[in-house]
Order: sequence, then C-alpha cells, then structure tokens
Amino acid sequence: MDIRLLRSSDLPLIQHANLENLPENYFMKYYLYHALSWPQLSYVAVDVSRPKKTPYDYPKIVGYVLAKMEEEPTDGIQHGHITSLSVMRTHRKLGIAEKLMRQSQLAMVETFGAQYVSLHVRVSNKAAIHLYSKTLGFDREKIEEKYYADGEDAHCMKLDLSSIKEQVAAFAGGDDSDEASEAEDEGDPVGDVGKAGDEGKQMPSRPKETKRKVKVGRPLGVAGLVEKDESKHP
Amino acid sequence: MPQPLSAKENSLFRQVIRNYEDKQYKRGLKAAEQILKKNPKHGDTMAMKALIINQQGNTDEAFALGKQALMADMKSHICWHVYGLLYRHQKNFEEAIKAYKSALKLEPDSLQIQRDLAFLQVQMRDYQGYIQSRTAMLQARSQVRQNWTALAVAHHLAGDLTQAETVLTKYEESVKVPPSKTDFENSEAVMYKNTIIAEQGDYQRALEHLESIAKTNLDRLAVMELRAEYLTKLERKEDAVKAYRALLDRNAEHPDYYNKLIKVMAIPAEDTAAKKAIYDEYAEKNPRSDAAKRLPLDFVSGDVFREAAKKYLTFMLDKGVPSTFANLKHLYTDSSKKEALGALAHEYYEAKKFDAGEAKTDDPFKGEGAALYYLAQHYNYHLSRDLTKAMEFVTKGIEKAPDNVEFQMTKARIIKHTGNTQKASEEMDKARNLDLKDRYINTKAAKYQLRNNETEKGLETVGLFTRNDSPAGPLNDLLDMQCIWFMTEDGEAQVRKGNVGLALKRFHTVYNIFDVWQEDQFDFHSFSLRKGQIRAYVDMVRWEDHVRDHPFYSRAALGAVKLYLDMHDGKTLSDGVNGDDKNGDAAERKKAAKKARKAEREAAEKAAKQDPNKPKAAVDETKKKDDDPDGLKLAATTEPLVEATKFLVHLLTYTPKNLEAQLAGFEVYVRREKYVLALGCLNAALAIDASHPTVHEHTIRFLHAIRSKMASLPPKVQEVIKSEFTAIAPSTDLEEFNDEFLAKHKGSVPHAIAAIKMKALVDEDEDQASVEKQLAGLLAASGVTFEDAQTILSILRGSRSKELDEFKKKAAEKWPEVTAFA
Repeated sequence: MDIRLLRSSDLPLIQHANLENLPENYFMKYYLYHALSWPQLSYVAVDVSRPKKTPYDYPKIVGYVLAKMEEEPTDGIQHGHITSLSVMRTHRKLGIAEKLMRQSQLAMVETFGAQYVSLHVRVSNKAAIHLYSKTLGFDREKIEEKYYADGEDAHCMKLDLSSIKEQVAAFAGGDDSDEASEAEDEGDPVGDVGKAGDEGKQMPSRPKETKRKVKVGRPLGVAGLVEKDESKHP
Repeated sequence: MPQPLSAKENSLFRQVIRNYEDKQYKRGLKAAEQILKKNPKHGDTMAMKALIINQQGNTDEAFALGKQALMADMKSHICWHVYGLLYRHQKNFEEAIKAYKSALKLEPDSLQIQRDLAFLQVQMRDYQGYIQSRTAMLQARSQVRQNWTALAVAHHLAGDLTQAETVLTKYEESVKVPPSKTDFENSEAVMYKNTIIAEQGDYQRALEHLESIAKTNLDRLAVMELRAEYLTKLERKEDAVKAYRALLDRNAEHPDYYNKLIKVMAIPAEDTAAKKAIYDEYAEKNPRSDAAKRLPLDFVSGDVFREAAKKYLTFMLDKGVPSTFANLKHLYTDSSKKEALGALAHEYYEAKKFDAGEAKTDDPFKGEGAALYYLAQHYNYHLSRDLTKAMEFVTKGIEKAPDNVEFQMTKARIIKHTGNTQKASEEMDKARNLDLKDRYINTKAAKYQLRNNETEKGLETVGLFTRNDSPAGPLNDLLDMQCIWFMTEDGEAQVRKGNVGLALKRFHTVYNIFDVWQEDQFDFHSFSLRKGQIRAYVDMVRWEDHVRDHPFYSRAALGAVKLYLDMHDGKTLSDGVNGDDKNGDAAERKKAAKKARKAEREAAEKAAKQDPNKPKAAVDETKKKDDDPDGLKLAATTEPLVEATKFLVHLLTYTPKNLEAQLAGFEVYVRREKYVLALGCLNAALAIDASHPTVHEHTIRFLHAIRSKMASLPPKVQEVIKSEFTAIAPSTDLEEFNDEFLAKHKGSVPHAIAAIKMKALVDEDEDQASVEKQLAGLLAASGVTFEDAQTILSILRGSRSKELDEFKKKAAEKWPEVTAFA
C-alpha cells in the first residue's frame, strides 16, 4: 500500500474506482477541477504490489479522498469539504480511509488555514458514519433532507481541526514535544508529527511568531471574519 | 469594407453582443434580424447572428452564415474572430488559429482575440506561438502577476528553463512591497520557481532558494519533499536522512520515503538485516502502519522471510483483513516465498481449526475464516492454482459464513477460471444479493454478466446504481459519467454476440471520451492562472500530452481494430452466414436487438418514475440527440480499414511498446498494402517478443507477401524493405522455417496453432481444409487448455470451417463446464 498525493495521471483510475464503488459519480472535468484548484488536499491509496501487465499500466487505485476548500463559505469560515472518499471493498480494514483523511486534513490546515472540515454521508451508510464519527471524530451537525438524487437524506458532519492546527504550529516552531502530544487525538501517524521534535529541528529554523503565521495561513479576503466566528463552532 | 450603421442600429448591435454574452439568444437574434432588415449585408451583424445560432445548436447553418459574413466584410475583425470561434466549436483548431490571427492583424490591440488565440495555441502545443501571444499580453498589462507567470509557463513548456526563471525573477524584482505571507499566489509562484531551478540541475541553488522561502511557504509537504531530494542530490547525507525521517513521521505509508532513506543511509542492498531494522523501527512507532510491516517481505529471504511472513500473516488473519492475499500475491513470483506463504496459511488454519479452547469471535471472518479466505484465493491464483482445492476452502468458508459477500464472490471467481461463465455469472449475482446496497459487488455482478454475454441483464444490473432521471435510461448516465469499463465490457460482449453496430458504438464511445478528456484541459489554461496553482497545471499538461497511452484506451481501440479487420475480411458473425451460433441467423439477431432496445426503453421509463427528485444539474436541453444509438451507421461503413486506422494511429503513437498494438498495426497495414509501415510494426514486435507465436506468423506473412508484390512496388519502397527487413533472409525457405519453429516450440499449443495456420501459406501440400483438420486435432495435444481450444474455435468459426461443429462437440466433452463450448 502506498498513501500519497493525487496526481493528474491518477484521475482515470480514480474515476474508475468511484464508478465501481459509489453511486455519486463525476465526469473527468470535475476531478480536474479538484486536482488543479487544491492539489495539496487529495490523496490516493495505491496497490504498489500489483504486477504490471503492459509497460503502460498506471498504478492501481484502491482508495482515494477527493477534497476541496469551500470557495464561498456561508458562515465566513475557511473550511475544507470532502467531496468523495472511497476504499475498495477488497482493501478494507487496513485503515486506508483514515490515513487518507488525516493527510488531507493536515494539508487543509497547513496550506489553506482550514478551521474545520465538513462532509455529507447517506443516512443509511452505517459503516461510513461509524468511520467518520468513531474513528475520525466527526460530529453530526444536521440532516439535509433529500440531499441525494434518489431522495435519500444526508447527515452533514463536521470535524474541528484546531487540534491539528496546534500540532502544525508546534511542529513549525520546533516546540517541546510534550505540549504537542497532548493535542494528539489517537496516537496516529498525524499525531506523531507533533512528537517529531528532533526531526522538526531539521526543518529550516523558524522564528517564534510562526505559530501565529499558521493561523492566518489562508487566502486573502476572509481573514477578518474567521477569528470572530471561531467560538461558534466546536 | 467596414459598414457604418446608423446610431440607432449601432446601439442595437451593441445589444446583440450583450445578449450573446448574457446567453439571451432569442432576444439577440431578434435584434440582429432588425439590423439585417435594413442592412442585409452587414458583416458584423451576420457574424453575431451566426454565433448565436451556433450556440442554439444549428452548427451547419451557423457555419454557412459565418462564411457569408466574412464574404460581406473581409476587413472586419469581428467576422474573422467569429469565424475562428465557429472553427473552434467544430474542434478544427488549426483553422481557428488562422482565423484568430487574421482578426488580430485587423485589430492588434484586442485583448479578447489575443486571449482566445493564446489558449488555442497552448491547447495545440504551439509553444512558440504561445510565447509570442503571452509576450504581447504581458506588454499590454504588465502590472498583473498572472501575465508574468503565464509567460514563464510558456517558456517552461517550450523547454526553455532559463528563460522561464528569468521572467519569474524579473517580476519579483519589480515588486516594491513584499507580498503578504498569506498570499497564496505568491507562495505557489515561488515554489514553481524553485522547481524550475531544480529542473535545470542546479541543486545547490535550488536548496538555497528553498531555504529562503521555506519559512513562509504554505505547501509544507512540497517544501519537505524537495528539501530531502536536494540534500540527497548534494550528498549531504546526514541532513537528508533527517529530512526523510521527518517525512516518514508525517506519512509512514509511503514506500518511496523508506527506499530513499535506505539509499541515502548507504545501506548495501545485500545487508537485508540493516534494511529490515529501519522498517521494524517504524512498525514499532506506528503500530497501524501496514507498509512498515509488509515491505521487508519483498527483500528478505529464507528463514528470516518465513519468520517475518508468519508474524505478518498471523497479525492480518487474526484481525481478519480481507486484502491479506492481495497484499502478498506479488511475492508469488518467487517460488520459495510462494510455498512458504501457502504452508504458513495452512499451518495457521490447522492451528485455529483445532483451537477449541479459544473463545470464538462474533466475526466469522477473523482467524479461521480469514485463513479459509486466504487459502481459497491462494489456490485460485494463477501461480498456485488448484481450482479443486480452492473450491474446497471457499465452500468451507461459505458454510461458516453463508452471508459473507467475500466468500461468495470468490466462489464466482473460482468458477470463472474453469471457463464456466454461465455459472460464474449466477454465483456472482448471489454475492450481489447478499449486499444490495454495495455498488462494488453490483459492479462485479454486472461485469460477470457481460462476460457471459448477458448484455441486457448487465445493463439492468448497473442500472440499479445509476442516476436514471434521463429518458434514455441507465446507459445515458453511464455515458455522462464516462463509465469506460462498462462501454468496453459491453462492446466486447457485443462482438461475441455478433452485434457489430453496438460493439462499434461502444468502442467509439470510449474513443470519444478520450477526446473529451483532451478537450477538458482547455478551460484550465486560464483557470489555473487565476487559481495560481501552477505546478499542478504543468503536471496536468504533461499528463494530457500522453493521455491516450492509458490501458483504457488501448483495450477499446484494440477491440475496434480487431472488429474492423474482421469486417474487412468478411468474418463478422453479423452477416448471418455463420450457422454455428445458437441464435444464429440474421433475423433472429435483429429480433434480439429489438428486444434489447425495448427492454432498455422500459427500464428507462421505470427508472424515471422511481426517482422523485429532479437532478441537481439542469438537464442540458440543447444536447444533441444521438442519431445512431445502435451503431448501425458505423456498421455500414464501406471502409473498415480506414476506420481501423483512426484507432490504430493513437495506439502506435502512444503505446509503441505494447505488443498487441504492433500486431494490430501489422494486420491493418498489410491489408492496406502499406508495406513499409507494416514492416515497422513487425520490427517493433520482434524487438518486444521475437518468440511470440503471432510474430512468427507475421514474419512469414510479410516475406510471403513481399515475394509476390515486390516488383510492383516503387523503387524507394523496395529499397527500404530490403534494408529494414532483417528478421530472416529474403531467400529463406518458408516451409522449412515454419517446421523449424514448430519443432523448436514443441509442446506449446499456442505456437503449434501459429505454425499450423502458416502451413496453408507456405506448404504446397497443405490446403485450408487439411490445416483446419490439424488445428482441430490439437484438442488431443498434451497440455492443451480450454483457452487454447477457444482460440482454435474462433479460427474455425472465422473460416467457417466444416470442422467447427465436430470440434465444438469434442471440446464440450473434454470441458463440459466451459460455457463457450456448450
């Protein structure tokens, strides 16, 4: 298994995985739109051990997360959104979905200054709801009625990203690792970033104020609104 | 000549333009008519009218009017611009570029025309033209950063890295106020510049530049990865080690980081213990990392492998991870690892089976169940295949967990390998019924139905998950969503059923999807500059350059070429001469096709009623109706070889190392008597796999054809052939050559098939009938597989052999379970 950033050349097999697994499908241009607007946010899981049949085989995609930033957030808060997440039935129980999500969330905070991430899930999709709420810590925000084309309702779910933000800040500043560990949620790979005190120092040393820098690390235009609204969101 | 209008009409004309831009076509059209009533030959108005009716879908009429407009006013930049837009709409980009250039000559300051020209140039990869256009655009508006970045991208794509860097630096120097730290466009532009420095090979400067921007850059991962890469290139080993360790702390599931860490640590390849220690360290740190645990299995061997594999297998089977076999099967190319894994799985299974003391888990897929699943897959895999044993284990699994999709799905897969597509399809459908909400298993079931030529049923099955709000039914959604797998599988099934039209239709659909994908990049030439994501854009452009090397294209294209060749040879089933197929004659086929269409229509109506919701995207009313839904027009072509060439050229351009592509190329070019091109394919095929049976056939067929045709070929062609055909001496006795080949590959049925086929050509004592007899006789050869027999069956079918029925009967006796012989 290989978890890595999505590339344009992955898109045909991502589209294929999506068509095989999920009822919500998209044409190529929509995938390109994600890949070219927020290239830092989408990740794939690749079956690297698959033997090649021709010299032109592309890496087999067994899972992906397609993510974006909300372009005009109605609440004025910078946040990410999961457009589509899928793991092949044959590759479940490897923690792939979780690993994909964690990488994506980290980049949402680092690159775009996201405060939280949202997603929609079918109310009948018990397995996915379990993953989002139990494993990844999402909260059920509300139900959107008849969200899906076939009339099914969607749970709108949200995850606050402030703990990742703290880790990123700590990591950037090369801070004491203890402080970062407290913010850790489940001791997962992402959590370890905070603990990487020693390695962190190998990064170009950063002045103390970088801690603040991450907070405002978002595109221009909405910076003012973010601080004020923060308290409203868990 | 420019034609002046009265003030009132002038304002009307401005309204036409406004209406067009606001997509108020009816109003625009009305206003245009009003002007034309008084000034019937007003070029600009005619041009705008053409543009509007083009948007309304009347392309032909629009084009005719566009031409008239140009005739009326050759000196109008509007007429030329519109002419270009119309060409652009028809996807005739070369002509569009010419028209834009004429427009620009008349109106050199028009930014709009310049932009339209520039984006077409980059779309067509006319980089020199694009550089010119971007330079002009920069000169017009040099205060906008986008214009600087765009010019740099133009130089970059044209391969001039130095110039690209110079442009970026020039902009940076012109900025008086330092950009804000949250300026994303700036953050990305400096990273782009950094990769351009590195691409020039100057890693020292790239590293220095990176360190100077790292602090504020928003793309943290890119900074970390590039830094590690530069440090490695500069042999700053200690720092590089730390950089890769930092990356592994961030993502321990990326094998590339481990490989690079080990490389930069200078651990010798043979010191597997030291290598393994690195992975073990991370496995300990990240108990949930699969990569760290599994990757050492790739390079350790002997007892160390056994021990590590046992640990891994135990962990995975205890946990009940369904992908355990998928994660390990690549190791099976090493026969000692294959045997070790098989033995370990048995060991584990036996231990669990008799482990009565242990509390049984609720999950029947953990422990013993997981072992059964592993073993079923193990014996189903082609390198360790024993289908009887596979069936044994899967049956036990099903007894243990009758509701489990995985076991049932594997059962279907095992049966597929026996050649019984009928039963496999039924069993996969059972698996589907165990979890009706899961699209993955639904897809599998549909695919198995198509493999069994149940095309109507297959469509019905996928239709359970498509959006069926279009009256055209599930197929419409599959088209919109570019569902290539379905088009390809259905196309191949239609070939087997003899429905030439539908088969061609599906293959052409795939071809067109690739056109759309290529066209898709157009909007991003401007979009990406606005978004500022330059590196991702360049990555996309480079991928689009070879988008058709994808196996999705190759497979459909090869299917189409093969079908066109059969049409040319008069071998297609659809002509009704072939009496073998059960629903054989033309009338019955027509009836079946009609029934299929009716079913499709009914399914569509039903689906439309089921869905109470409006689609979120408005249905595109102007969408052109398909005037050949069943591919009857495609099937009626009188030039199948020309059509085949259309598919073929992309295959040969983008996938020259694909043997199948070269073989197909030979077949097409030999029939078109283009011997130099055929020879090119033959030589390429020889370089890929000289011992392939079909390559042998082609060698003989080429020399044989040349011997009779050489004299009639132009001297230049003769020369090329003489110097390039080096596979065998031109004087070779082909009969002898063929016999030698047969002797050399004794025991291989595919090679025997090739040699026997060639006998009819090279051996005077053999005729078609005796060759067919010998082919049929291969049924008794030792080691013959049912796949070989299927190959022979299709050869006999193609030549409408007298042996056909008898052969099929005997094959059915030998392999009663194989559906193709039933």
